[in-house]
Amino acid sequence: MVIDTSKTISAPASGDTTASCWSCGDMRAAHFCHACGKVQPPLPVNYFSFFGLPRKLNVDVLRLERDFYELSRKLHPDLNARADKREQEWSLEQSSLLNDAYRTLKDPIKRTQYLLRLEGVELEEQSKTATEKARASGEVKKQIVPPDLLEEVFELNMQLEELRMNKKMGEHDPALVKDLEAHKAQFEKKYEELAEELKGHWNRWDQAVDRNNGDERRGALDSMVDLLNRRSYIRNLVRDVNEALGN
Amino acid sequence: MAYSDKVLDHYSNPRNVGSMDKSSNEVGTGLVGAPECGDVMKLQIKVNPQTNIIEDAKFKTFGCGSAIASSSLATEWVKGKTVDEALQIKNTEIVKELALPPVKIHCSVLAEDAIRAAIHDWKAKQGAAKPVAVETK
Repeated sequence: MVIDTSKTISAPASGDTTASCWSCGDMRAAHFCHACGKVQPPLPVNYFSFFGLPRKLNVDVLRLERDFYELSRKLHPDLNARADKREQEWSLEQSSLLNDAYRTLKDPIKRTQYLLRLEGVELEEQSKTATEKARASGEVKKQIVPPDLLEEVFELNMQLEELRMNKKMGEHDPALVKDLEAHKAQFEKKYEELAEELKGHWNRWDQAVDRNNGDERRGALDSMVDLLNRRSYIRNLVRDVNEALGN
Repeated sequence: MAYSDKVLDHYSNPRNVGSMDKSSNEVGTGLVGAPECGDVMKLQIKVNPQTNIIEDAKFKTFGCGSAIASSSLATEWVKGKTVDEALQIKNTEIVKELALPPVKIHCSVLAEDAIRAAIHDWKAKQGAAKPVAVETK
């Protein structure tokens, strides 16, 4: 997998610390001028740096929530209704950025996906590149999803098809339904276990960031891509089973 | 998004749907998946051991219309080719033939992967059966 490591954590946590306030000319903080308190124009920051966080995956969600509420109050466009027109606009932009950043970072999966994007991991690109490489070298491409999971997904899809066909014909096969329910339960269990596994990868990533270890970082990213792939497979499957069973 | 006529044709009349005996020495099986959309594709080839020509191909795909069309087309294309010729099939050719839009390119990638995986499986079987004899170059 090719990951661009040139734009990783070396970027400053918040690039706006050296800018000066548009209103009073003093140096300003992230979202407001610390001297006069005016709302500042949003800078092209990422969601982590928007909250002044390092690009790490273990996030104190309670603190994030506190920061979110505090910032939403201060940045609320209504509060700045009587402000300078530019400031009103910035307040609106900052508010919407704030909402996006919060919604993304508070959710463990969205946070992970966002980090992968920041790190330049494009799943589809990756798959295409791997296929081209396999074609050039004559080797068989390593599947992103482990073969046994693929096998299970395939088998379950076969059963689902049978169930749908039965339904169409007005037939009912209790044994098949029971089998599907059992499979679904297994997949749901797997799905839950992924959350724990993901935390392990987060820790690996965070430690690699602390140690500035490129190999470790790449390894952690790979593992997370792998996990998210398995996760979306399982999620789709459980959804399909539920649909077919009419749950 | 509208599917092209060719995709619709393969989708409503898929060619070579089915399966072959996975354990047969003449059969190679490729099972691949695209986790982004949850697709899974199985493609099987039956190869004549004397000529290395793919005499039959079957597929079964769970996925969108483009994935089904890509694998259906792939089975049509590999039939009658030698395994080495089949290895030359590129996903871009599938894209072109089916007029797949950019968001569906991964379906063609999947089909190429499936062909390669099936051939790899078949080659591995030949290697296990007679270690030196089949070097398909």
